[in-house]
Amino acid sequence: MAFQRMWRALGALFLIAAASAAFMAAAWAQQAVPALAGRVIDQTATLSAGDRQALDAKLAAFEQRKGTQIVVLMVPTTAPEDIAAYANRVANTWKIGRRDVGDGVLVIVAKDDRRMRIEVAKTLEGAVPDLAAARIIDQQMKPAFRNGDFAGGLMAAADQLIARIDGEALPEVASASYEQRSLMDVDWEHLILFLFFGVLIGGPILRKLMGAILGPLAAGGLGGLLAFAFTSSLVVSGIAGLLALGYTLLAKPASFSGGGGGSGHGYGSGGWSSGSSSSSSGDWGDWGGGGGFSSGGGGDFGGGGASGDW
Amino acid sequence: MIRILKRWLPLALLAALLTGCGYNDFQRLDEASKSAWSEVLNQYQRRADLVPNIVASVKGEANFEQETLTKVIEARAKATSIQVTPETLNNPEAFNKFQQAQGELSGALSRLMVVAERYPQLQANQAFRDLRVTLEGTENRITVARNRYIQTVQEYNVLARSFPTNLTAMAFGYDPKPNFSVQNEAEISRPPTVDFEKK
Repeated sequence: MAFQRMWRALGALFLIAAASAAFMAAAWAQQAVPALAGRVIDQTATLSAGDRQALDAKLAAFEQRKGTQIVVLMVPTTAPEDIAAYANRVANTWKIGRRDVGDGVLVIVAKDDRRMRIEVAKTLEGAVPDLAAARIIDQQMKPAFRNGDFAGGLMAAADQLIARIDGEALPEVASASYEQRSLMDVDWEHLILFLFFGVLIGGPILRKLMGAILGPLAAGGLGGLLAFAFTSSLVVSGIAGLLALGYTLLAKPASFSGGGGGSGHGYGSGGWSSGSSSSSSGDWGDWGGGGGFSSGGGGDFGGGGASGDW
Repeated sequence: MIRILKRWLPLALLAALLTGCGYNDFQRLDEASKSAWSEVLNQYQRRADLVPNIVASVKGEANFEQETLTKVIEARAKATSIQVTPETLNNPEAFNKFQQAQGELSGALSRLMVVAERYPQLQANQAFRDLRVTLEGTENRITVARNRYIQTVQEYNVLARSFPTNLTAMAFGYDPKPNFSVQNEAEISRPPTVDFEKK
């Protein structure tokens, strides 16, 4: 009986939720943000495969050389939103541009609205100010689009954008050593905290388990090994190992019984593994230099750029 | 086993309490909303700096509608005369006043741009066209900055009003922050009527 009532209540709740969701969808029928499938996304099937590849190759080569991500998106319409609002929403969802630099440009064409926009990330507002974006739209895109030559207009616009961004002093394209350096930067603080608590908890336990001499040695060795695994620096790991050794030597033995020691050890090892997994899964963008394209995730779009129509 | 629990439970509880009360979240969101607000002001300032240039280039046009022009100048004077301090954020009345003044300037400027359409010479003037692009970009930036402010304030207010963080808000006196609204809510929620018949 009670179960039935509960089910009925749940069903009613579900209905209400579904109805309100449908209502919201009707009230806010914004265009969905398309998936970032490549550098050139054409939802209107306007560009031929060859044109698309040529444009993609140009943008890819530029990204390899300079690091800046330029994406071209063609949609049928942006209604009910203005193209500026839509472009900003898409750009801030994709966050194109390198993670640490945030250099991205989105060129967007709403074919049936006959409007286009160049949305520029904050980093590049100096290289491509609003006026420059407006000139590119007026001089490159507009005349070509009027003749129905979308590929030509987009190519010319891409050339202009590339020329402008080339003049800007942006950080070099990331290399392997650069990534390693930033790995150390990211991990420093976490590592110290992690080792500190690890030694604080693990040290007494090891000492209890393995004795007054062997325990500290094991703690020191383990601490040093872990530090080396994270930082790959001998000096840092040596210091960490010595600190762990010293603390465990001086600390009083843990005050719980042998049976407790076993379960305590289990807790300790849980701590280690969760710690290492959290630091290894740090916030790394899946930023492949090779074949596939994915957003660098650093672009911040504050409304810079210009719109136009044809 | 029980002894371990006795030993670590209070520590764990304390840690949970400290992270659960949301004190740090309040600090983070308060700072975030302040910087979002600064960005809003920054963009409004950019617009205010632009207005004299627009006015000057429009004045060059002989017999430009004087009334529209003076309205822009007055609205700008009014908007820039309002002192904005960090306390404005916590004072809904001052906030509304500021917002209204900026709204008036928005209205006056868009009216000016519409009127300017009627002057072909002005439309051919490259300097004026550039100013128009700059103004449009500034308005877009204002919209984005306002949106971001709205979002951070929303987060802050949800934190300040939901349990259990509202207890922290009460204890430290964190009030919900004011947010942007529109002056003519009734007017814009009505669909526009389009009438092409000549009267």
